[in-house]
Amino acid sequence: MGGRRRNIFVLLFVLGLLIVSAIIVVKKPAELGLDLQGGIELTLQARPTPQLPEVTNEAMERSVDIIRSGCNKLGVSEIEVSRLGPDQISVGIPGATDVGGATDCATTPARLYFYDWQNNLVGPAKELGTDLGSQDPDTVQKQVRQKWIAAGRLPTEGQNRTFIAEGAEPSMWDAVNLATGQERVEPCPDCSSSDRYYLFEDKEPHDLIAGPVADRQDLYFDAQGNPLPRQGIVKKVPQGTVVVSELPTDPATGRTINDPEQAAYFVLEDNAELTGSDIKDPQQQTDPLTNQPNVTFDFTDKGRQAFQTITRRIAQEGQARALGQVDPQTASALSGNFAIVLDNAVVSRPIINFQENADGIDGRTGAQISGGFDIGGAQELAEFLQRGALPVELALTSQSQISASLGQEALDQGVRALVVGLLLVCLFLIVFYRFLGVVSALALIAYAIIFLALIKVIPITLTLPGIAGLVLTIGVAADSNIVIFERVKEELRAGRSLVSAISLGYRRGISTIIDANVVILLTAFILFVLSTSGVKGFAFTLGVGTLVSLLTAVVFTQSLLGTMINTKILRRGMGISGEQHEANEADKKARWHFDFMGASRTFFVMSAVILLIGGGALATKGLNFGIDFESGTRIEVSLEQDISVEELRAAVADEGLADAKIQAVDNPALGGNSFQIQSETLDPSQIATVEESLDENIGISTDGFNSTSVGPTFGQSVARSAGLAMFFSLLLITGYIALRFGGRFTAPVLIGILHDILIALGIYALLGFEVSSATVAAFLTILGYSLYDTIIVFDRIRENEPKMPRATYSQVVNRSMNEVLTRSLATTVSTLVGVVALLIFGGETLTAFAIALLVGISSGTYSSLFIASPVLALWKEREPAFRRRRRQQMESQGYIPAFAEELEVAKVDGEEGGDAGSGPEPAATGPKRRV
Amino acid sequence: MAIVIWLIVGLALWHLTVFVPDHFWGGIVGALLGAVGGALVSGAIVQVILGRGLNDVDMLTFLAAIPGFLAGAYLIYWIGERNEDPEFQLQD
Repeated sequence: MGGRRRNIFVLLFVLGLLIVSAIIVVKKPAELGLDLQGGIELTLQARPTPQLPEVTNEAMERSVDIIRSGCNKLGVSEIEVSRLGPDQISVGIPGATDVGGATDCATTPARLYFYDWQNNLVGPAKELGTDLGSQDPDTVQKQVRQKWIAAGRLPTEGQNRTFIAEGAEPSMWDAVNLATGQERVEPCPDCSSSDRYYLFEDKEPHDLIAGPVADRQDLYFDAQGNPLPRQGIVKKVPQGTVVVSELPTDPATGRTINDPEQAAYFVLEDNAELTGSDIKDPQQQTDPLTNQPNVTFDFTDKGRQAFQTITRRIAQEGQARALGQVDPQTASALSGNFAIVLDNAVVSRPIINFQENADGIDGRTGAQISGGFDIGGAQELAEFLQRGALPVELALTSQSQISASLGQEALDQGVRALVVGLLLVCLFLIVFYRFLGVVSALALIAYAIIFLALIKVIPITLTLPGIAGLVLTIGVAADSNIVIFERVKEELRAGRSLVSAISLGYRRGISTIIDANVVILLTAFILFVLSTSGVKGFAFTLGVGTLVSLLTAVVFTQSLLGTMINTKILRRGMGISGEQHEANEADKKARWHFDFMGASRTFFVMSAVILLIGGGALATKGLNFGIDFESGTRIEVSLEQDISVEELRAAVADEGLADAKIQAVDNPALGGNSFQIQSETLDPSQIATVEESLDENIGISTDGFNSTSVGPTFGQSVARSAGLAMFFSLLLITGYIALRFGGRFTAPVLIGILHDILIALGIYALLGFEVSSATVAAFLTILGYSLYDTIIVFDRIRENEPKMPRATYSQVVNRSMNEVLTRSLATTVSTLVGVVALLIFGGETLTAFAIALLVGISSGTYSSLFIASPVLALWKEREPAFRRRRRQQMESQGYIPAFAEELEVAKVDGEEGGDAGSGPEPAATGPKRRV
Repeated sequence: MAIVIWLIVGLALWHLTVFVPDHFWGGIVGALLGAVGGALVSGAIVQVILGRGLNDVDMLTFLAAIPGFLAGAYLIYWIGERNEDPEFQLQD
C-alpha cells in the first residue's frame, strides 16, 4: 500500500471511529461511580478466623461473592463489590442512604452451628440440665442463685428463674470466667472457633468492652475501628470451649424477648455437629401452629444424614433417662435439646422428643428456627442464611455517604474542568505550533471523543479521580505531538525538506514516545493492581488514555500531515511555528544555548535549599493528614434554617458532638447554610441519629446530608498499598530503564524521583495542604510523570552520545538538554494548563488531586532537567573513556568548553557538530569553562 | 516521619558535595549513599538516645541528621580517595 493510500485509509478509519464514538457518546449513558451519582461506599478489612488463621485468596473471593449475592438479596441492586489488595473489600451501593443497613448486609458473618445441647454443657448447667453431673443438684442450684443475685439479677425478675433452674450464667463475665478454666482441645476439627479473647471493664460488674475476637490486638478497636484505651481485663477462652448467649422466651406468647439485659449465658464444649454449610434453601415462613414468622430450611445430603444421626442419639439418650414407659409430659422433660447457634447466640433450642422421634428426625423435611421473630427479622435471618457464612471476619474501616445532588454537582464540575482543560491545551498548542498546533488540537479532540466512547463501551466506571486521570492524559496525548513537532522543527532548521522533516520527525520521535508511554503504562498498571478503589479509576483511565493517545497523537496526525503534504499551506512552509523551512544560518541555530552543566551547581544549591526548607517544615509543622489517615467522621449538612455554628453545636451536643470541630462552609452543591462537622469516628447508627435529630429540630435541605467515616486501619492500608505501589513501580521502571538505557541511567532516575516525592512532601508540610488518599494516588502518578519527562531527556542523551565521539559527557548532556528544553517546557505548560483547569473548575474533591499534580509536575520537570541529567553527567564523567576525553580537551585547548561545538577539532572536521539534521549548529562563542 | 526528615536532610546536604572534588567512592551516587545513610544512622541514634518514637519529631530530629551526613560523606570520600587510580584522576 502506498504512503498516500495508507494515509487516506488511516484517516477514513479514524473518521469512522469518530462517527461511531460520537454516536456512542451521545446515545449511551456513562456508568458513574458513587462519587458522581451518590450512594454509600464501605471499605472492609478481612481478619483471620479460627478456622482460617490466614486470609487466603480463595476466602476473599468467596467473601466478595457472598457479600454481592447477600446484599443483592437484601434489596440492594447493582451493588459494587470488589477486592482491594490482599485483605480488603470495597462495597459500593449506588443510591443507598441507609449506612447501617449497608454495613450490616456486608459485615454480618451469619455463622450457624448446631449443637447437641445436653452433651456439650459445661459447669452448673451440666450439673442441673443433664444427668451427667457429679454434684448435689440442690447445692449447685443455691450457688447459681447466689451468683445471679451477686450479679444484680434478681431471681424473681423476668425469666431469670428459668435460667437459674437451667444453671445458666448471669453475665458474660461469669460465663467467660467459667470457660477460661476449661482445658484447651487440640486438634479440634469440629470447633466453631479457636482461642477467643474478651475485654472486660476493670470495675464490677465487669461489663464486656470488646470481644470475642480471635486476635488479642483486635480487642483494642471498636466495631468502627476506633482505638480503645488499653485498659480492662483480658480473658481468653481456650479452643474447644464456646460461650453462647440466650434470650428469654415469653411463656405466654412463645416469642423471644429481644432485650439483651435479660440474656443468660451458657458455656458449651465447642463440638458443633452441623454448620451453616450443611443447610440449604432457608426461607421465611409462618409457623402454622403459632402463626408466628419463622425460618425453615432443608439439609444437604450430608447434613440430612448428620442431622438424623445426632437427633437419633439425643432421642436414645432421652429414652435411657426415662427408664421405661413415661407420660408425654415427662417424656418431653427428659428429652434432650438440639441447639441452633447463630453468631454465638442461641436462636432456637428445639426438644428432640424421644417418644415422637425415637429414631431421630429425618432431615428430609428440613427444620425450622422459630420464636421471637417479626416478619422482617425472620426474612433477614433467612437471607443471611441463604448467602452462607463469611469465611473471614470483616471489619469496617471506612464508610462514605454521598448525596445524589452532590454527586451530580461533582460530575458537572469534573466535566467542566475536562472541557476547559481540553480547550486551553488546544489553544496553547495552536498559539505555540500554529498549523501543526491545529493538527494536534484536532487529534486531541478526536482523542477525547474516542476515549469517552471507550469509557461508555467497556464500560469504565467514571469517578472523580478518573476524570483527573483523563485531564492528565490530555497532557500526555499533547506531549506525544510536542515531541514529534519539536523533531520536525529541528529537521526543518537543519535544512530538510518539509516532507523529509515530517517523515524523520515521526520516525525519530516514535521510540521516545513509546519509551515514555511504557513507563506511564507501568505506573498505571501498578496503581490499578495495588491501590484503593478511587485510585483504581484514576489508574485505569490513565492507562487506557495513554494507549488511545498513541493512536490519535501519532498515527492520526501523521496521516493527516501526510495527506496535506502537497497543500499550499505546507508547501510554503507557512504556519509551522513560524519556521520558514528555507534554512538559513539563523534558523540553523538552536533556540536555546544554555550551559546547564555550568549552572548545575546553582541548581544543586537551589534544590538543597528547597529540600531543607521542606524538611524543616516537616520537622516543625508536620503533615496535615486528612481523615483518611487520622480516622474520624466528617458530616456535611445543609440546613433549612439559618443558624450559627454555636446553635448547631448545641443542637448536636446530645449526640455526643459537643466537642466536634464544626465550621460553616460554602458548598453550593449541598445548598445554603452548609456546615461541616468533624468528630471521632461515629458508627452508622450514631450518624443516622445525628441526621434524624438535625432534620427534626432544624430541618435538612433535600439531599443535604453527606458523611464519611474512616477507621484508623484504613489509613494504614492506604499507606501500605501506596508503599507497595511505589516499590513495585520503581522496581519495574528501574528494570525497564536498565534494559533500554543501561544500568548507569537508573541511579539518576531514582534520585530524580526521590527529589520529586520529598519536595512535594515538603511543600505539603509548608503550605499545610491536606494529605488524603487522593494525594497519595496523585503522588504515585507524579512518579510516572516525572520519569516520563526524564526519559525524554535521557533518550536524547542516548541518541547524541555515539554522535559525539570526542565530547565529554557534560557536553553531550548540555547539547541534549538544549535540544529538548523547548519540548520539556511546552509539555509542562500543556499539562499544567489542564491541571490548573482541574484546580479552578474541578470542585473540592478534585482540588486535592490538582494540587498534588501541580506540585508534582512542577518538581518533576525541575528534577528531570536540573537534577537527573547533571547527576548522570557527573557520574558518567568518571568512566575512563570520558576522563580520557576531558584530558585530551584540556591538553589540546587548555580548557574544556561547555559545548562540544566549540572544540577546535570540531571546527576542523565538523564531526563534533554531529548529525547535521538533528541538532543545533555550533555557537559562535561559548563560555570558557570547565565542565 | 523522622525517617523522611533524615532522608530529606541527607539528600539536601548531598547536593553540596558537588563543591568538593569528586574523589568519592562511586562518584556522586556513592556520595549520595554516604550522605543519606549517615543522616539516617545519626538521626536514628539521637532519636533512640532521646527515647522518642518515629513520629515524635521536631527541629532536633532535623539537626540530628547533619553529623551523620558529614560522617557518611567523609567516609565515602576517604574510601574513594584511597582507592583512586591516579591515571584517571578527575581534573577539579
